[in-house]
Amino acid sequence: MSVLDWGVLVLTLVGIITYGIVRSRGSRSMNDYLLAGHSLPWYHVGLSVMATQASAITFLSAPGQGFTDGMRFVQFYFGLPLAMVVLSVTFVPIFHKLKIFTAYEFLESRFDTRVRTLTAGLFLLQRGLSTGLSIYAPSIILSTILGWNIYLTNLIMGGIVLAYTVTGGTKAISYTHLQQMAIVTFAMALAGYLTVKLLPDGIGFVDALHVAGKAGRMNLIDLKFDPNSRYNIWSGLIGGFFLQLSYFGTDQSQVGRYLTGETIGQSRLGLLMNGLLKVPMQFLILLVGVLVFVFYQFNPSPIFFNKQETDRLKQSAYASDYQLAEIKHQNLTAQRQRAVLDMQAALQADDQSGQEAAGTRIRETDEALKGVKSDVTKLIKKANPTADTNDVNYVFLRFVLDYLPHGLIGLLIAVIFVASMGSIASAYNSLASSTVVDVYKRLIRPDGDDMFYVRASRWVTIGWGVFCIVVAQFANQFGSMIEAVNILGSLFYGVILGVFVVAFYVKSIDGKATFWGAIIAEILVILSWYFDLTAFLWLNAIGCLLVVGIAWILQRAWGR
Amino acid sequence: MTRNPTDLPPFVRSWPQLYAIVIGSLVVEMLLFYGLMRWLS
Repeated sequence: MSVLDWGVLVLTLVGIITYGIVRSRGSRSMNDYLLAGHSLPWYHVGLSVMATQASAITFLSAPGQGFTDGMRFVQFYFGLPLAMVVLSVTFVPIFHKLKIFTAYEFLESRFDTRVRTLTAGLFLLQRGLSTGLSIYAPSIILSTILGWNIYLTNLIMGGIVLAYTVTGGTKAISYTHLQQMAIVTFAMALAGYLTVKLLPDGIGFVDALHVAGKAGRMNLIDLKFDPNSRYNIWSGLIGGFFLQLSYFGTDQSQVGRYLTGETIGQSRLGLLMNGLLKVPMQFLILLVGVLVFVFYQFNPSPIFFNKQETDRLKQSAYASDYQLAEIKHQNLTAQRQRAVLDMQAALQADDQSGQEAAGTRIRETDEALKGVKSDVTKLIKKANPTADTNDVNYVFLRFVLDYLPHGLIGLLIAVIFVASMGSIASAYNSLASSTVVDVYKRLIRPDGDDMFYVRASRWVTIGWGVFCIVVAQFANQFGSMIEAVNILGSLFYGVILGVFVVAFYVKSIDGKATFWGAIIAEILVILSWYFDLTAFLWLNAIGCLLVVGIAWILQRAWGR
Repeated sequence: MTRNPTDLPPFVRSWPQLYAIVIGSLVVEMLLFYGLMRWLS
């Protein structure tokens, strides 16, 4: 990184942190500190909801997924607009009318204290762990670029967010989300545009899409119903619907965002704005990854994008094996480049059989290149069993550093930081809200005044910050980070959603049956995941239905 | 803080209409994606 990049990065981060701290003034009550005094308009709510969901993981892993796996990941978000409509009809009016701080408060009024405490506990466990992953995501960037110690980097990343989250309340977080989304949108659009500009003369955007399509990367829709396939239209619509409904309806980091709306209507509009924009946004982020894939069809690509690991391999006893793999990779890359140029010529001549033949060669060399990569991955693991071999997370970063102009590099690194800060800030805030409102105030110290709980919230935020940083230190044990977060969510969200579904729609079931239904369902969901019985997206639907079904049976069995 | 008609965007008359617009947009996107995939494959 050049001085210009460092300047852009530091200026962006300092600007946002300062703005957040300035905006934190004036929080004199729990309502101000945790819900921004119910004062925010719909576009604040909408952008804050989007910024909370779009973490650094979104901008690191998603282009990498587009590069390695194509566009099919976009189907994962098809359930989101449907979930936004259900939330607007059911959840938002009830939460607003009850004037609650956390979603789990509602469960006590419907059931009892132990259902509220159990659900809040599941949320705290899940959110605490996944926030650790959100801290780790930008930290690997710094450690790769600067050779910093990853543990120290996690500490710095989690720490600077704490600096303004503790002093600033929800209002400050929402205001900084506005800036963050503006920066992220501008920088990603510019990165996509420049990637197309970097393609050889005569290759435009449409040509690039054709090359991607022939290479099997424009796999946007998979109509085949397969419970073991991670991404198809059915898992996206049904599994994704349950996951998004659970996430937005029962995860305090999101509930806390839309409860800041001035009225029910403003909260609804914010959620529906998210429903309209999320799929196109995710499509464009994946498309950037696909364009990077096309770029590397015309240019030499590294076998492994995480340069730190290949540098280590070159110094190990497996250096000669790696050299052989590199030669094989270079030959295959040259073959692929010739096939892509033939494809280009066939496209211009409208030669269908030529396109088919070139397409087959592209796919064959692509498979062979994946084989070489797999061999190198094994070598890296042999040389260093603790090595980070999840290359998906490094693809976009490596491309940015190697090919994009100075200044934009700094801006894109800043994007990854600010996106991360947005989601981590919301997570810290929600963890503190639930701990103070659902546990401390409800069970331990119910007699404090408003300012006492605001001070307690600040201390609890610090405590959760420390916990999440510790989790981040172990995050490299998970696979692709974006998938790790979604798997973690799927283990808990379905059960939490099931409790809320019973609360909203099955009035005949009481707290005792719901409590035990949730415990049994959670055990069954964890066992399903452990024994790999189904793709993780389905765990949300399974968890939710199990809670409803088991609670219903228990209610009947106990005869009340 | 019940339903406030002034919260609706100027071109929308009711909440159900707005929900239909959101779901309709998803259907259009899925059709466009399918068409794009078939065209480029």
